[in-house]
Amino acid sequence: MINALFSDSSYVTAKKMLDVSVLRQEAIASNLANVETPNYKRLDVASSFESQLQSAISSGNSASVATMQPELAVDTSAVSGRADGNTVQLESEMLRLNENTVENAAETELINQSMAKIRMAVTGKS
Amino acid sequence: MINVLSGIDSTASALDAERVRMDVISQNIANVNTTRGLDGKPYQRQEVVFENVLKAQQSSLDSNLVSGSSPEMVQIARIQKDNRPARMVYNPGSPDADAHGMVAMPDINIHEEMVDMIASSRSYEANLAVAKNAHSIAMQALSIGKH
Repeated sequence: MINALFSDSSYVTAKKMLDVSVLRQEAIASNLANVETPNYKRLDVASSFESQLQSAISSGNSASVATMQPELAVDTSAVSGRADGNTVQLESEMLRLNENTVENAAETELINQSMAKIRMAVTGKS
Repeated sequence: MINVLSGIDSTASALDAERVRMDVISQNIANVNTTRGLDGKPYQRQEVVFENVLKAQQSSLDSNLVSGSSPEMVQIARIQKDNRPARMVYNPGSPDADAHGMVAMPDINIHEEMVDMIASSRSYEANLAVAKNAHSIAMQALSIGKH
Protein backbone atom coordinates (compact mmCIF):
# COMPACT_ATOMS: atom_id res chain seq x y z
CA MET A 1 0.00 0.00 0.00
CA ILE A 2 1.56 3.25 -1.14
CA ASN A 3 -0.23 5.11 1.68
CA ALA A 4 2.34 3.66 4.04
CA LEU A 5 4.84 6.12 2.58
CA PHE A 6 2.89 9.01 4.01
CA SER A 7 1.73 7.57 7.31
CA ASP A 8 4.79 8.54 9.34
CA SER A 9 3.49 10.13 12.54
CA SER A 10 5.52 13.35 12.33
CA TYR A 11 4.42 13.83 8.73
CA VAL A 12 0.76 13.22 9.58
CA THR A 13 0.96 15.58 12.56
CA ALA A 14 2.67 18.31 10.54
CA LYS A 15 -0.02 17.99 7.89
CA LYS A 16 -2.77 18.33 10.47
CA MET A 17 -1.04 21.28 12.13
CA LEU A 18 -0.79 22.97 8.74
CA ASP A 19 -4.59 22.74 8.50
CA VAL A 20 -4.81 24.17 12.01
CA SER A 21 -2.57 27.12 11.22
CA VAL A 22 -4.64 27.97 8.13
CA LEU A 23 -7.79 27.73 10.26
CA ARG A 24 -6.21 29.95 12.91
CA GLN A 25 -5.29 32.46 10.21
CA GLU A 26 -9.00 32.69 9.36
CA ALA A 27 -9.86 33.19 13.02
CA ILE A 28 -7.27 35.95 13.42
CA ALA A 29 -8.44 37.61 10.19
CA SER A 30 -11.97 37.59 11.56
CA ASN A 31 -10.82 38.94 14.94
CA LEU A 32 -8.83 41.79 13.45
CA ALA A 33 -11.61 42.61 10.99
CA ASN A 34 -13.99 42.98 13.93
CA VAL A 35 -11.60 44.74 16.28
CA GLU A 36 -14.08 47.62 16.56
CA THR A 37 -17.37 45.77 16.27
CA PRO A 38 -19.37 46.10 19.51
CA ASN A 39 -19.96 42.81 21.35
CA TYR A 40 -17.79 40.74 19.04
CA LYS A 41 -16.20 37.77 20.82
CA ARG A 42 -12.82 36.58 19.56
CA LEU A 43 -12.58 33.25 17.75
CA ASP A 44 -9.79 30.71 17.93
CA VAL A 45 -9.22 27.07 17.15
CA ALA A 46 -11.30 25.13 19.69
CA SER A 47 -9.20 24.48 22.81
CA SER A 48 -10.43 20.87 22.89
CA PHE A 49 -8.37 20.24 19.75
CA GLU A 50 -5.05 20.70 21.54
CA SER A 51 -5.88 18.22 24.32
CA GLN A 52 -7.13 15.70 21.74
CA LEU A 53 -3.91 16.10 19.80
CA GLN A 54 -1.82 15.66 22.95
CA SER A 55 -3.54 12.40 23.83
CA ALA A 56 -3.37 11.14 20.23
CA ILE A 57 0.37 11.82 20.05
CA SER A 58 1.11 10.29 23.46
CA SER A 59 -0.82 7.14 22.48
CA GLY A 60 1.30 7.00 19.31
CA ASN A 61 -1.71 6.56 17.10
CA SER A 62 -1.07 8.56 13.92
CA ALA A 63 -4.28 7.30 12.29
CA SER A 64 -6.37 9.08 14.93
CA VAL A 65 -4.41 12.30 14.33
CA ALA A 66 -5.33 12.12 10.65
CA THR A 67 -9.06 11.90 11.40
CA MET A 68 -9.16 14.83 13.83
CA GLN A 69 -11.33 17.73 12.79
CA PRO A 70 -10.10 21.08 14.09
CA GLU A 71 -12.77 23.74 14.17
CA LEU A 72 -13.23 27.31 15.26
CA ALA A 73 -14.93 28.27 18.48
CA VAL A 74 -15.54 31.41 20.49
CA ASP A 75 -12.62 31.88 22.87
CA THR A 76 -14.35 31.77 26.25
CA SER A 77 -11.15 32.45 28.17
CA ALA A 78 -10.81 35.94 26.68
CA VAL A 79 -12.21 38.66 28.88
CA SER A 80 -13.32 42.03 27.68
CA GLY A 81 -11.39 44.98 29.01
CA ARG A 82 -13.49 47.40 27.03
CA ALA A 83 -16.83 49.08 27.47
CA ASP A 84 -18.27 47.71 24.20
CA GLY A 85 -17.98 44.04 25.22
CA ASN A 86 -15.48 43.22 22.47
CA THR A 87 -12.85 40.67 23.57
CA VAL A 88 -10.26 41.33 20.83
CA GLN A 89 -6.98 42.96 21.86
CA LEU A 90 -5.14 44.41 18.89
CA GLU A 91 -1.57 43.87 20.15
CA SER A 92 -1.93 40.25 21.25
CA GLU A 93 -3.85 39.47 18.08
CA MET A 94 -1.01 40.88 15.95
CA LEU A 95 1.45 38.74 17.92
CA ARG A 96 -0.65 35.64 17.35
CA LEU A 97 -0.86 36.52 13.66
CA ASN A 98 2.92 36.62 13.33
CA GLU A 99 3.40 33.52 15.48
CA ASN A 100 0.95 31.68 13.31
CA THR A 101 2.74 32.67 10.09
CA VAL A 102 6.06 31.44 11.48
CA GLU A 103 4.39 28.25 12.69
CA ASN A 104 2.99 27.71 9.21
CA ALA A 105 6.45 28.20 7.68
CA ALA A 106 7.95 25.66 10.07
CA GLU A 107 5.27 23.08 9.31
CA THR A 108 5.64 23.61 5.56
CA GLU A 109 9.38 23.10 5.92
CA LEU A 110 8.82 19.91 7.92
CA ILE A 111 6.52 18.56 5.21
CA ASN A 112 8.97 19.51 2.49
CA GLN A 113 11.82 17.77 4.32
CA SER A 114 9.73 14.64 4.86
CA MET A 115 8.83 14.58 1.18
CA ALA A 116 12.46 15.06 0.17
CA LYS A 117 13.40 12.08 2.32
CA ILE A 118 10.68 9.91 0.80
CA ARG A 119 11.71 11.03 -2.67
CA MET A 120 15.30 10.14 -1.95
CA ALA A 121 14.28 6.73 -0.64
CA VAL A 122 12.18 6.06 -3.74
CA THR A 123 14.48 7.43 -6.44
CA GLY A 124 17.88 7.27 -4.82
CA LYS A 125 18.42 10.87 -5.89
CA SER A 126 18.16 13.93 -3.68
CA MET B 1 -13.62 29.56 -6.41
CA ILE B 2 -11.10 28.11 -4.01
CA ASN B 3 -10.01 30.32 -1.20
CA VAL B 4 -6.28 30.64 -1.68
CA LEU B 5 -5.78 33.39 0.87
CA SER B 6 -7.26 32.15 4.12
CA GLY B 7 -9.47 34.63 5.94
CA ILE B 8 -9.24 37.17 3.14
CA ASP B 9 -13.03 37.75 3.10
CA SER B 10 -12.99 39.07 6.66
CA THR B 11 -9.93 41.19 5.97
CA ALA B 12 -11.33 42.66 2.77
CA SER B 13 -14.62 43.55 4.44
CA ALA B 14 -12.74 45.30 7.26
CA LEU B 15 -10.59 47.28 4.82
CA ASP B 16 -13.76 48.42 3.02
CA ALA B 17 -15.44 49.35 6.28
CA GLU B 18 -12.41 51.31 7.54
CA ARG B 19 -12.26 53.22 4.26
CA VAL B 20 -15.90 54.26 4.61
CA ARG B 21 -15.22 55.28 8.20
CA MET B 22 -12.27 57.38 7.05
CA ASP B 23 -14.51 59.05 4.43
CA VAL B 24 -17.04 59.93 7.12
CA ILE B 25 -14.34 61.33 9.41
CA SER B 26 -12.92 63.48 6.62
CA GLN B 27 -16.43 64.70 5.85
CA ASN B 28 -16.84 65.72 9.50
CA ILE B 29 -13.52 67.56 9.54
CA ALA B 30 -14.27 69.26 6.22
CA ASN B 31 -17.60 70.51 7.50
CA VAL B 32 -16.43 71.83 10.84
CA ASN B 33 -17.56 75.36 9.88
CA THR B 34 -20.55 74.53 7.69
CA THR B 35 -23.45 76.58 9.04
CA ARG B 36 -25.80 75.94 6.14
CA GLY B 37 -26.21 72.49 4.67
CA LEU B 38 -28.61 71.34 1.96
CA ASP B 39 -31.50 71.55 4.42
CA GLY B 40 -30.48 75.06 5.51
CA LYS B 41 -29.41 73.81 8.94
CA PRO B 42 -25.87 73.50 10.28
CA TYR B 43 -23.98 70.33 9.37
CA GLN B 44 -24.61 67.41 11.71
CA ARG B 45 -21.69 65.23 12.69
CA GLN B 46 -21.94 61.68 11.28
CA GLU B 47 -20.71 58.44 12.72
CA VAL B 48 -20.39 54.92 11.32
CA VAL B 49 -21.79 51.88 13.12
CA PHE B 50 -19.97 48.61 12.58
CA GLU B 51 -21.72 45.25 12.72
CA ASN B 52 -20.46 41.74 12.10
CA VAL B 53 -21.83 39.42 9.46
CA LEU B 54 -21.50 35.67 9.68
CA LYS B 55 -19.58 34.46 6.70
CA ALA B 56 -21.78 31.36 6.66
CA GLN B 57 -24.78 33.57 5.95
CA GLN B 58 -22.97 35.23 3.09
CA SER B 59 -21.93 32.02 1.37
CA SER B 60 -24.11 29.12 2.35
CA LEU B 61 -22.25 27.03 -0.24
CA ASP B 62 -19.19 26.97 1.98
CA SER B 63 -19.88 23.53 3.36
CA ASN B 64 -16.74 23.26 5.49
CA LEU B 65 -18.05 25.99 7.75
CA VAL B 66 -21.17 24.18 8.86
CA SER B 67 -19.88 23.01 12.24
CA GLY B 68 -18.31 25.19 14.90
CA SER B 69 -18.02 28.95 14.75
CA SER B 70 -17.15 30.49 11.45
CA PRO B 71 -15.10 33.57 10.59
CA GLU B 72 -17.08 36.74 10.61
CA MET B 73 -16.99 39.70 8.28
CA VAL B 74 -17.62 43.28 9.25
CA GLN B 75 -19.80 45.82 7.54
CA ILE B 76 -21.12 49.30 8.07
CA ALA B 77 -24.60 48.85 9.53
CA ARG B 78 -25.48 52.49 9.04
CA ILE B 79 -24.05 55.97 9.06
CA GLN B 80 -25.91 57.76 11.78
CA LYS B 81 -26.25 61.42 12.58
CA ASP B 82 -24.89 62.50 15.90
CA ASN B 83 -27.78 64.41 17.45
CA ARG B 84 -25.78 66.60 19.78
CA PRO B 85 -27.12 70.18 19.60
CA ALA B 86 -25.44 72.86 17.56
CA ARG B 87 -22.91 75.09 19.27
CA MET B 88 -24.09 78.73 19.45
CA VAL B 89 -21.39 81.29 18.63
CA TYR B 90 -21.81 85.06 18.75
CA ASN B 91 -21.04 86.41 15.31
CA PRO B 92 -23.50 89.15 14.24
CA GLY B 93 -21.71 89.69 10.93
CA SER B 94 -22.53 86.22 9.65
CA PRO B 95 -25.38 85.91 7.13
CA ASP B 96 -26.62 82.91 9.16
CA ALA B 97 -26.83 84.86 12.42
CA ASP B 98 -30.21 84.94 14.18
CA ALA B 99 -31.89 88.03 15.68
CA HIS B 100 -29.50 87.96 18.67
CA GLY B 101 -26.41 87.69 16.47
CA MET B 102 -25.89 84.02 17.38
CA VAL B 103 -24.80 81.53 14.73
CA ALA B 104 -25.46 77.77 15.07
CA MET B 105 -22.18 75.98 14.36
CA PRO B 106 -21.80 72.20 13.99
CA ASP B 107 -20.63 70.72 17.29
CA ILE B 108 -17.58 68.96 15.90
CA ASN B 109 -14.61 68.46 18.15
CA ILE B 110 -11.58 68.34 15.89
CA HIS B 111 -9.54 66.42 18.48
CA GLU B 112 -12.17 63.72 18.67
CA GLU B 113 -12.14 63.37 14.89
CA MET B 114 -8.34 63.17 14.79
CA VAL B 115 -8.34 60.41 17.42
CA ASP B 116 -10.96 58.49 15.44
CA MET B 117 -8.86 58.93 12.33
CA ILE B 118 -5.76 57.49 14.02
CA ALA B 119 -7.77 54.54 15.37
CA SER B 120 -9.16 53.93 11.91
CA SER B 121 -5.77 53.94 10.21
CA ARG B 122 -4.29 51.65 12.89
CA SER B 123 -7.11 49.22 12.31
CA TYR B 124 -6.56 49.45 8.55
CA GLU B 125 -2.85 48.70 9.05
CA ALA B 126 -3.65 45.67 11.23
CA ASN B 127 -5.87 44.25 8.51
CA LEU B 128 -3.24 44.90 5.86
CA ALA B 129 -0.79 42.92 8.00
CA VAL B 130 -3.27 40.04 8.03
CA ALA B 131 -3.46 40.16 4.23
CA LYS B 132 0.34 40.08 3.98
CA ASN B 133 0.56 37.10 6.34
CA ALA B 134 -2.18 35.29 4.42
CA HIS B 135 -0.16 35.89 1.28
CA SER B 136 3.00 34.44 2.77
CA ILE B 137 1.06 31.39 4.01
CA ALA B 138 -0.31 30.88 0.50
CA MET B 139 3.17 31.17 -1.02
CA GLN B 140 4.47 28.60 1.46
CA ALA B 141 1.64 26.25 0.57
CA LEU B 142 2.57 26.59 -3.10
CA SER B 143 6.18 25.77 -2.27
CA ILE B 144 5.26 22.32 -0.90
CA GLY B 145 6.90 19.64 -2.99
CA LYS B 146 9.32 21.97 -4.77
CA HIS B 147 12.92 20.87 -4.62
